[in-house]
Amino acid sequence: MARFITIGERIHCISPSIREAMATRNPEPILKRAKEQLDAGATYLDVNIGPAEKDGEELMKWAVELLQGNFDNVPLCLDTANKKAIEAGISVYNRSKGKPIVNSADAGDRIENIDLAAANDAIVIALCSAHGIAADNDERMMHCQNMLERGMELGMEAEDLWFDPLFLVVKGMQDKQMEVLEAIKMFSEMGLNSTGGLSNNSNGMPKHIRPIMDSAMVAMAMMQGLTSAIVNPCDLRLMETIKSCDVLKNNTLYADSYLEL
Amino acid sequence: MPFKKTPQKFSAAIKTVEIGTGDRKIVLGGESVMPLYSFDGPIENAPKVGVEIVDTGYADAPEGLKAFYAGCDTMAEQAKKAAAMEGADFLCLRFESADPNGADTPVEDCVAAAKEVADSVDLPLVIMGCKNNEKDAQLFEKCAEALAGKNILVLAAKEENYKGVGAAAGLAYNQKVGAESSVDINLAKQLNILITQLGVSGDSIVMNPGTATAGYGFEYVVSTLERIRLAALGQNDTTLQMPIITPVASETWGVKESVTEEADIPEWGDRETRGIDMEVATAAAVLAAGSNGVILRHPQSVATVSRLIRELM
Repeated sequence: MARFITIGERIHCISPSIREAMATRNPEPILKRAKEQLDAGATYLDVNIGPAEKDGEELMKWAVELLQGNFDNVPLCLDTANKKAIEAGISVYNRSKGKPIVNSADAGDRIENIDLAAANDAIVIALCSAHGIAADNDERMMHCQNMLERGMELGMEAEDLWFDPLFLVVKGMQDKQMEVLEAIKMFSEMGLNSTGGLSNNSNGMPKHIRPIMDSAMVAMAMMQGLTSAIVNPCDLRLMETIKSCDVLKNNTLYADSYLEL
Repeated sequence: MPFKKTPQKFSAAIKTVEIGTGDRKIVLGGESVMPLYSFDGPIENAPKVGVEIVDTGYADAPEGLKAFYAGCDTMAEQAKKAAAMEGADFLCLRFESADPNGADTPVEDCVAAAKEVADSVDLPLVIMGCKNNEKDAQLFEKCAEALAGKNILVLAAKEENYKGVGAAAGLAYNQKVGAESSVDINLAKQLNILITQLGVSGDSIVMNPGTATAGYGFEYVVSTLERIRLAALGQNDTTLQMPIITPVASETWGVKESVTEEADIPEWGDRETRGIDMEVATAAAVLAAGSNGVILRHPQSVATVSRLIRELM
């Protein structure tokens, strides 16, 4: 089994300093966050430029070249509702360290992002919901099947669709958590890759609680076969849990210094 | 149903490590396939065969080997003979006599002998010690200093002395550092991490994750070598992508099959033939399991194993 893949989520236009940096094309804050995340062990970096309706194409190109140029062609996850911006980003993307990820398609209005990934030989995150949260796992798996078929009809490899069960917030949807974990198990039994915004489970909890909940969630999800997650890699407890689970799953060979790698 | 050949593809590769300088320098590693699987992908750098020269001489050696080195009084003279062996890619000088519990040859004398060898032959050099951690650390430091610019490999740094050996050979004198563990896969990885954390580049490290003679707990050696290769290639574990070198001779020439005289057990037949068989069988097995280089003693073993490699590439 391959090692668990972490996608660092901290280059996000919701953060005021990143939004400002993107608007003014100021590299420093973006490079700083990229470095922090890579030093902490992130594999991929998510680049969320928001809806970016106006200058999305130019902005995404700038961000891709900036990050890959400074960090040895770090693989990136291109995150925006603007399809043209994703394509523009891929047009300047260097694949030597991994294919670009399109973030994201769903089974509803955003299903065409699968087509976009297929046309550009990219990985796509396929969110198993259409209009709102799936009611149950029957619905989740129906969406999964539909998106898988669509991708494969367009010539994609099944391994390039990373299915997202949609992690749900504990505060309010506590009774749904095991269902999400069961969906991951079903993906895994079909041999599919999976990912998701893991920290959504701890949304609204006190700051000191979130790393604990996120670590518990990632351990349980990895047990079910989760192959990747979009996370804050600067959360030390979470990253240590992922590394430890990778050892227990025999995804990586143990050595006394395994946490330092 | 027709047979469909499916190559086992890996995107990761073993690092390449150069030893020696000039025309005779050797390159270990570089492949992206399992050991000797040249049908799955190119193996640009075929495994290499080294000749071991021991500073304690050949008084107890079988007749053929004794005859080969007849008339050689110094390591340098032996080295010239060894360098002319068919299939010899590099030389390994083993300073067994440096052992404080044995002859306790001073480090300066060992270094002088090594220097004389380096001045007499142009093959890449590997330096082995006496398995006393403290003495070896001193020996490796002084050899690394005296042979600066020769791009030698010191075999090896262990958990007990890696700081001194790594700092001297790897950092101060820019030589290549061996990382030795005893058939303990987790320690093999840990030692690579520790030496890398000292500042020695991953491209300057060669692993010796331990060996045994075929038949002597050898299945642990094989599974260790294979697990290392699978982690390096299949899991892209950069801490295990160093090439592997295996000192075969120092193991196989000490087992009963290689030391028992024919007079003592006549039905076993000629001692020298047995010794060569043990050496060749062990070398072939470690090459099949993951070694990028083997160190042998007998000229016939060197010729046989190098021919085997040529035929398989």
